[in-house]
This record gives sequence, C-alpha cells and structure tokens, in this order.
Amino acid sequence: MLCFSLSQPRGKHKLNYTQFHPISKFVPSPHPRGLHISPNERFDPHHRWSHILCLVLCSSPCYFVSLLLYPSVQAPHLTGCKSREQETFRCWWSPGSFQNLTEPGALQIQYWKKNDLTKEWKECPDYSSSVKNECFFNKNNTVIWIKYCVRLHSESQNKTYDTLCFELQDIVHPDPPVALNWTLLNISRSGLNYDIMASWEPPPSADVSVGWLTLVYEVQYRRRNSSHWKVLEHEFGTQQSIYGLQTGEAYEVRVHCAMRAFNHFGEFSDVIFVHVPEIPNKESTFPVTLVLIFGAVGVAILLMLIIFSQQQRLMVILLPPVPAPKIKGIDPALLKNGKLDELNFILSGAGMGALHSYPPDLYQDVPWVEFIELDADEPEPGEKDNQSSDSQRLLGHNNHHTNHGCFHGLSIPDDDSGRASSYDPELPDQETLMLMAALLSCQPNKVEPCLGNCSHSSTPSLDVLEVPCPGLQAPDLPPEGGERHLVQTQLGGPQSWVNMDFYAQVSDVTPTGGVVLSPGQQVGAPENTPTTKKDKKGKMEGGEEESEEEEERRTNKLKFQLLVVAPEAGGYTTESSGRQMSTPDPSSPGEVYHTFPPPSAESKPHQEAYLPATTLLGDYQSPYILPDSPPAQFLPPVSDYTVVQDVDFQHSLLLNPPSPQRSPTCSPQPPSKPLPVMPIGYLTPDLLGNLSP
Amino acid sequence: MNMMQVMQSVVWAVLLWPCLVSLGVPLECKDEQGSIILCASISKEKLLDRVIQHAELIYRVSEESCTLFEEMFVPFPMRSQRNQAGYTCATKAFPIPGSKSEIQQISDKWLLHSVLILVQSWIEPLVYLQTTLDRYDDAPDTLLKKTKWVSEKLLSLEQGVVVLIRKMLDDDMLTTSYYEQGVAPYALQPEVLESVLRDYTLLSCFKKDAHKMETFLKLLKCRQTDKYSCFLH
Repeated sequence: MLCFSLSQPRGKHKLNYTQFHPISKFVPSPHPRGLHISPNERFDPHHRWSHILCLVLCSSPCYFVSLLLYPSVQAPHLTGCKSREQETFRCWWSPGSFQNLTEPGALQIQYWKKNDLTKEWKECPDYSSSVKNECFFNKNNTVIWIKYCVRLHSESQNKTYDTLCFELQDIVHPDPPVALNWTLLNISRSGLNYDIMASWEPPPSADVSVGWLTLVYEVQYRRRNSSHWKVLEHEFGTQQSIYGLQTGEAYEVRVHCAMRAFNHFGEFSDVIFVHVPEIPNKESTFPVTLVLIFGAVGVAILLMLIIFSQQQRLMVILLPPVPAPKIKGIDPALLKNGKLDELNFILSGAGMGALHSYPPDLYQDVPWVEFIELDADEPEPGEKDNQSSDSQRLLGHNNHHTNHGCFHGLSIPDDDSGRASSYDPELPDQETLMLMAALLSCQPNKVEPCLGNCSHSSTPSLDVLEVPCPGLQAPDLPPEGGERHLVQTQLGGPQSWVNMDFYAQVSDVTPTGGVVLSPGQQVGAPENTPTTKKDKKGKMEGGEEESEEEEERRTNKLKFQLLVVAPEAGGYTTESSGRQMSTPDPSSPGEVYHTFPPPSAESKPHQEAYLPATTLLGDYQSPYILPDSPPAQFLPPVSDYTVVQDVDFQHSLLLNPPSPQRSPTCSPQPPSKPLPVMPIGYLTPDLLGNLSP
Repeated sequence: MNMMQVMQSVVWAVLLWPCLVSLGVPLECKDEQGSIILCASISKEKLLDRVIQHAELIYRVSEESCTLFEEMFVPFPMRSQRNQAGYTCATKAFPIPGSKSEIQQISDKWLLHSVLILVQSWIEPLVYLQTTLDRYDDAPDTLLKKTKWVSEKLLSLEQGVVVLIRKMLDDDMLTTSYYEQGVAPYALQPEVLESVLRDYTLLSCFKKDAHKMETFLKLLKCRQTDKYSCFLH
C-alpha cells in the first residue's frame, strides 16, 4: 500500500480533492480547501524529490509486487487543456484503468467560469467526435482573462476525479510555424563553412496581425545523425540566421513558437534539411606562396645585379661628391695659382658673359647729382646673419686692391669726404664695414652687410647705398631698391681698380639733408672718409654732421684710415685726423697707420664731437677697418681709401705697406705681392697664410 | 519620486537625443504642472508605438518577476495553481469583456480608458509589493530590481496613455495620478505562507492585467493601420 500510494501521488491527491466548492473563494489559509497537503510537505519545496527518490528506491520490488497484486490502476484524470490560438481550447481526459468507467458517457467534463452568473458546473459544450475523450470549447464559450475550472465528473457516482483551473492565456500552445525555408548567406573563403538564413511564417491560426497573439520563435538544428538539437535564441521576427554549418554535412532545422512571455512552446514545425555540397578548392595556397617566394628571390637577385653593375653610378647618385669650390665660369685652376690678372679680367665681365652681367662701365662720365633719400629699411635678414669676422672679410678684399671708388661710405656717417652718392649715413657700422669690404673688392656682388649686430631697425638698410662699382646700377635707383647689388660679397673676385671710378664726391648737401654728388675722380682713387660707428644719435645730429662730413669729404680725399674700434674708444677717425693721415706720400705709411685706441691729437675735438655717438655702439668689437690707399702708386690726386695690405701682430691692419726703413716695425708683407702694383684685392689662401694673425 | 522620474527622463532625453529627434518626444510630457516640458509634438502613431513598447516590456518583466517569485518562495504544490479554484484578483470597477470578438468590438475610447484605469489601479499595489519584497530575507536582487522597474515604467505608461487619450479622443479631462506613499495595508510577517501567497497572487494578477493592457493597445494599433481587417474576426 505504501508503494502504491507512493507510486501514484497524483492520484492520491486527486482522490482527496473532493471538498472543493466551486463558489467558494480561495482564501489563503494554511490548508487550502481541496488540496490535501501533508504537514511536512507544506513548507518543503523539495518534497517532490523525496517522492521520486522513494519511487526509485522502492520501485523495483514494490512495483512488481504491485503489478502482480494490482494491475496498474489509474484513476480517470484530465490530461490537459490547451488552446491553439487563444480563441478556443480543448481538454482531454483519460478514463484510467477503472473498469467501470470506460464506457462513454460515464465521465463528463464539467466546467465553470469565474464570471458565470449561475455558479454551476456546466457540461462540456462539445465533445469532439473525431478525437476520443476530448472536449472542445469554441469561440463563444471561450473567454480570456477569466478563470476556467474544468473537472472530470462521474454523474453516476457523483464523483469528481480531477479538476483543472486555468486562464485562457496561460494555456496557449501555438501551432507550429509554416513555410520553413532556408537560403544560403555565404560560404567561407576556405569553403568549409557556410551560413544560412532560415525563414518561416507564423501559424495561420494565430492572429498575429491583429495583435491578438504575440509570438516568439525558437529555432533548433542538428546534424543528421546527431541526437542533440542545438537551440538558438528566441527570435521575435520570422527569420533566423544560422552560422557555422559545415559543407558536406546534412542538417535538420525545425522551429516552434510560443506566446511571448508564457513559454509554452507549441509543436515543432516540419523538419527541413539543409545541405551544401563541398566546393573543391579552386586554388590551393601552396603554389601561391611558392610563386611569391620565387618572385621575391628573383627581384632580390636582379637588384643585386643592378647594384653591382652600376656601382659607380649609384655611388655618385647616392653619395654625391662634395663640389670643389668654384666660381661659375672661372676655371678653378686660375684661382689657385694667383693668376689674378686674368681672373680680374674675367670677373670684370669683359670675359665670359656667364658672370654677372653688369654693363662694364657706368659711372665714369655720368654726372652724379642725386638726392639720397634715407629710408629706414631693414636690411635683408639673410645678409644680416653673416657674422664672419671682419678682418677676414676685409682681408679678402685687401691688399690687392686699389680701393678706388669701390668703397663708399656705406654707413659712414661722418668724415665722408669723397663718399659716393647715395650714401646712407644711417647704416650700422657692421654693414658699413661689410660694404666697405665689398667696395674694396668693387664687385657687383652682394656682401653680407652685417659684421656684428645688425639689428638696428632705425638704421636704413644698405639699400640706400649705391656703390658705383663697375656694373652697378644707375644712379636713379631708388635707395631701397638699390639693395644688395650694391653690397657685394667679398667672394666676388678681385676687380680691376684701374681706371675705374667708383665713387663720387659729395659736392653739396642740401638743407633737407640730401647729398649732392659730383662725379668722382677720373683716376680710380677711391675717395673715402674715415668712418665711424654710427647710430641713430649720429643721424640725429644730422644736419651739422652732414655739413661737416661734406666738408671733410671734400678735403680728405686721400686718406684711408684704419679704424679699429674699441668699445671705449670712439672708433673713428675724424676728418682732421684723416687729413692728417692722408698724406699722399707713400713713404710715410706709418703715419697712415692708425689703430685705435690712440687717436691723434688733432682728431680729438672731432672725436669728442662724435664720441657719444660712437660709444653707444660699443658693444661690438668688430674692427672697423678702413682700407687705406697706397697712395703713391695710383693716385696723384687725393685718395681717401687704402687697401688693407697687411695685418700686424696686434690685429691691426696695415693700410700701406711699410717703407723699407719701417719694415721692421711692421708685419711682414705678403711676399708675393709687389707693392707698386695695386693688388687686385683678392687674397689667395697662400697669401693669407703669410699674414700673421 | 517625481523628481527622480523627471531626472531620469531628462537624462534619457539627452542620451537619446538623435533618436528623439527622429522618433519624437518621449512619453514624459507633463504640460500641466509646469514641469519639464519635453514634448514638442509627436505623432499619434509614434506615441502609440511607444506606449505599446512600454506595455510589452512591462508585461514581459512582470512575467519574469512572477516566475522568479514562484521559484523562490512558493511551495511546489501551489505553483501554477492548476488545481486550485484560483485566486481572485481585485475586481475592477468595470467589466472587461472576455472573448476576442467582444473585445474587438470595443470602441477606441473604451479601450484607452480601460487601459488607463488598469494602469492607475496598479500603481499603488506595486509600490506596496516593493516594500513587502524588501522585507523578505533572501529575495533575489533581480526580483527587487524588476519590481522597481515595473512600478516606474507603469508611471510613464500612465502618462503616455493620458497623452494618447488627449490626442486621439480629444479628452482633456484626465489628470495623472500622483503617487503618495501610503501605509501598507497588510502588516503581516513576510515569508509566512499567507503573505507569500498573497504576494504571489498580486504578481499573477498584475501579470494578467499587463497582458490585458498590451492586448488592448495592440488592438488599438491594428485599428489605426487597417480598420477593416481588425474587425473582421
């Protein structure tokens, strides 16, 4: 009996379920009516497991015994109620093994609804004829959201064997979807895998369009011979993609649906078969890699061959040789060995036209009357940056020059007798130094104007200067346009000074500060005035300076002075000192040679006048060199400029070669240079080497 | 609670700005109280879609909560209540027809009003349910979160339905309900079977009513799109 009771727990419960009254409400109580729960089962959620355990333990002996003693007795019970579309539902029962209840009509299905007015059990409206033991509730008898209770009742015995309560929406098991089909999405590149898209349609009985039913679908697939279905995630739409199927394998796919959130899945649809045959590999990767390897090797071999065969050329292309210094159009051999005459000739433009194409003579007979406009142009930055030493610059233009005319007082603010036209007194000293160097060489090249700090914005650029070197521009060149062609690099080779007049005398100064120039000397005696550092202050003193300068210019035609500007010293030689120094007598070169700080006594008054101007510029130490003209050789008349002949041991420049009796006190002269001949002004490297620093 | 709601809606509005621009304005559109006005104009169809989304989500979450609660607290024999006469959910003030045909004949106005009544009737019980669940010792976090989420979404659903009614029926008489923290009517100890069953009943009834709301709204939508076929069955 124990086994019997244990083996049929459900029936036992149902047998005791007789006290249920359909009308009574369900009142929560420890022992709900109609449901017999043993005390120890009430609070034990796992009592089912104990049931099963006992079953297992007892099943074998008890079962067989019970079978022997009692053939399987099963009470009539309701097997279930289901709705397909939430509009109708059916209930099925089983009569069990009770012998006396197997005849039809012995058992009835009775039901009632919560909202019934009569509160009585009603007979099943429709016992279906086709299916045995089925009760069908049609649309008219079906309501939703209202509790139904269905019971299996035997009238004759007045006994209810089973009861089932539910609401319509809880028993919906939708029909299977229809029209399940699949399409191939893609095949992997290796040809081993592919993806498909399975699509279907909702069951026709489900009224999805109206929204009466909202379905969720579940797709399952498996390999043909496997027993385990792979379940995919629930899908709300009517298609699902399946990834990772293997070619050559046969698959089965099926789908079923449930009402959303109720999880009572309906029956499965028909199974469809998916199969994609294997695709033979059109190409295997092995030859491709082989080809690639061979190709790479071949290319490498080719490259090597090219390199080895064209080695020389490649070396030239990759590592171009450093070009030797040369001047365009001039044979480097000329530069080496001191063939200066020829070089000068060439450079003067009379030679090849590749050189600077200035018209060879310009200024010789052109009266120079012009007004200089002093503009505060900034010198070009490129030219400002040149910071090479002044001595080198000047030495580059030194001894071989006759400083005819090429030296304009570039920024020589005062004592500018004989300064060329368009001379700008505002130029900074460095620039003037540069310009002077350039002018010495008298090349129509550019010169880096700044020897030192050239950042005086107030000082006009070199543009204003128009150096009437051969080949220079016309006098009417605007000052700022004059630019750099006036300023010439010291690299510009030596220029023949002979018979060139590069300078013009300032014949007059207008009250407004313009300078009136007159043509310079025929003989290329460069006229120069001792220069000094000049700055704004110098310009401010403008008017009287101008007059002074002009006067000085007029008078001092001879002398070039070498000014070594020391910070403490004014760094300039005045007109008087220049005058003093400018003796045309070459025999007394010593007097010409001045180095600062010791200025001459006569020059002092002038110096003092200019001292404040010059001391302001004391921060740069660039020696301010005025080439001194070797007077006697060239210039019967006054010459204001001197070529720097040499540098003595004190870093002072020798403007005139010392006379033989004075030679011991002077630095050795460059041996290769004949003094009477005005050097062209090009210092060859070997000559320079002879100069002691 | 209102402030939180408003804040949440503002945050969502900011985050979903591009969506909002394309889809319209979120449901939280309280014009009458001078609170945050996020509505500019939204078409009826989009609003209805939004409301249906809400109803569907609420229904799904309520079903999940019911299942969770059942598994955790309800003894096995009482699950699904197959064999019981059933519990009685709180009766509503109006009878709701049961059959599909009857329901399909309900007018738009009636559908919307019944949805609104359903929503409004469940706001307070859900809040009560939250407090009760908090007293359970081992209530899973997900359950608590779900019930909290549902009660919040119910409020926004209510607002949406109010706006929908105003738009579709030109009925301006409705006001949204204001939640007030009420005293819990039952002060029973938690985890006693009675309270467990009561809560279980509550959840099940709410699940049913959520299903009702969803169905009504979907029927309404069907009528908006294709009036003829919706009345056919």
